[in-house]
Amino acid sequence: MHQMTIIEKIFSRASGRPVKPGDLIWVDLDLVAMRDFGGPNVVGEYQNSFGSSPVFDPDRVAITFDLHIPARDEKVAQNQRRLRDFASTQGIRLFDINTGVGQHILFENGLVKPGDIIVGTDSHMNLLGALGAAGFGMGTTDIAAGMYCGRLWFKVPSTVRIVIKGKLGEYVTAKDVILLIIKKMGTDGALNRALEFTGPLVDSLSLAQRITLCSMVTEMSGDIGFIEPSAAVLKFIQDRVPGKIGSISSDSGEKFEKTVEFDVDGLGPLVACPHSPDNVKPVGEVAGTAVDQVFIGSCTNGRLEDLQLAARILEGKRVEKSMRLIIVPATMEVAREALKAGLYDIFLESGAVVTNPSCALCTTGHPGILAPGETMVSTSNRNFIGKLGKGAEVYLASPTVAAATALTGKITDPREIE
Amino acid sequence: MTPPMKRARQSASPPALIRGRAWLFGDDIDTDQIYPGKYLPLTDKSEMARHAMEGTERGAEFLKSVKPGDILVAGRNFGCGSSREHAAIAIHGAGISVVIAVSLARIFHRNCVNTALPALESAGARKIHDGDMLEIDIARGEIKNETQGMVLKTEPMPELEREIISVGGLLKYLKSKGDMGIRGSGDQGVRK
Repeated sequence: MHQMTIIEKIFSRASGRPVKPGDLIWVDLDLVAMRDFGGPNVVGEYQNSFGSSPVFDPDRVAITFDLHIPARDEKVAQNQRRLRDFASTQGIRLFDINTGVGQHILFENGLVKPGDIIVGTDSHMNLLGALGAAGFGMGTTDIAAGMYCGRLWFKVPSTVRIVIKGKLGEYVTAKDVILLIIKKMGTDGALNRALEFTGPLVDSLSLAQRITLCSMVTEMSGDIGFIEPSAAVLKFIQDRVPGKIGSISSDSGEKFEKTVEFDVDGLGPLVACPHSPDNVKPVGEVAGTAVDQVFIGSCTNGRLEDLQLAARILEGKRVEKSMRLIIVPATMEVAREALKAGLYDIFLESGAVVTNPSCALCTTGHPGILAPGETMVSTSNRNFIGKLGKGAEVYLASPTVAAATALTGKITDPREIE
Repeated sequence: MTPPMKRARQSASPPALIRGRAWLFGDDIDTDQIYPGKYLPLTDKSEMARHAMEGTERGAEFLKSVKPGDILVAGRNFGCGSSREHAAIAIHGAGISVVIAVSLARIFHRNCVNTALPALESAGARKIHDGDMLEIDIARGEIKNETQGMVLKTEPMPELEREIISVGGLLKYLKSKGDMGIRGSGDQGVRK
């Protein structure tokens, strides 16, 4: 058998034969997930095609509510009702409005392990590569089909290895590293490819930092980004998954399409300017730009560690008086940890609004969208034109840049606070 | 066990020629431009069609003038961004018969195939002008530009995609197989 990358190993196991890049294959799915916005259309397609037939395996299907929660209008309420009814009839697990961002809920609840193939109605499902699992965002028809059959077709991507060397400076984070990578590779730089992040820096990253890296492979149009799980990541997973888990890694030897190296020594904080995630500049180049609102959270930067980075800067200070700071923990588990650690006191005393765990300011569906002409600094992953309000401008940045900006009301290098 | 894919191969019929007028769009048109997020709660497909391309610079013009059979032509990375299938459903419902792009984002591309909207990649898409009359031959992988009198090549559409599109989408395709849901049966023939 030839040398294989992580995605080739996973697809070979799930399809029952050795695969290579370019192959079109059918594979068995380990988990099929849907959310509150795509879900109603999935259920509609499912019922149109399969009536009341049972799903392939109720234990391998999950519904997460993470976008429009709690329901903000009657249409959303009807959609959520439809999903609750479907879950109840089919015996499917539903994580309701008191949970948080879908992929995070899935791995916190032991539904994700290295080597799994997981599909869901969320283009950032691929952040599960941070746990060594193959997560794929898909549309409603794919999810309806997968929920019935337990299998779907895939084209095996080639793999690009990203080697990251050097050490991160103070206030410089995994967000800055991935923005650096996106700047170099471009918004289609990983199209039809899997990435594997490796190197001494990557080995030392926490799960939260790994998630930040892997989640934004989507912004390069990549299929998925993997990181070989560390001992700490494996322990996090094993503590939640019944049964003994294994790890996953690429074979040694040359099987990557190419290798791209990055050295982060001397790297400072970066921001992605409107209206593209690859329009990346050093924070100093846009420092001083007036900002109306800051959002800290999302599937990319909503873990406890992200909130701690922000709290360190906000502690004992007040946000600028015309600034609106919105902080949203990724999940209820993160929120409870943040509460215990005293972060809520720091945030509320600073003048922030802390809302319930959700995807929050990822789309116009969530409270907090912008008026025309307004500017936001966001720790999320996309700043497409119009995505958070027509005529608004969004800068993507790390939690440290976001928190520093909240204090001054203009884009600020966190290294220059105090 | 009979490999179902072999049977499918024998019954596959390529879609007929598609002829229509080109609507030109640029690079990196994301799904929020194709179908703005504020309409995500919609579940009715004809309602979705009324918002196709609404977030693009020429959205209003497109929605006013698009005709059934028209062809959407775009640059690189068309359909990047969110997984919303609304994007493919809306442009299909608005009358678009085929999407041609320099490159297509993965999820959007799948959504097109699964909802029976042909989508093709062609580096030559850059040579097409807005309003050109095009004739697409999917089986031959050719775009005949009648206005400019030139023929462009497309990347070949894999047989599986052609089969899914020709029967009306993924769910109809799976139903036509009659033996779906055989987990553990592995890959029934690795196909290019």
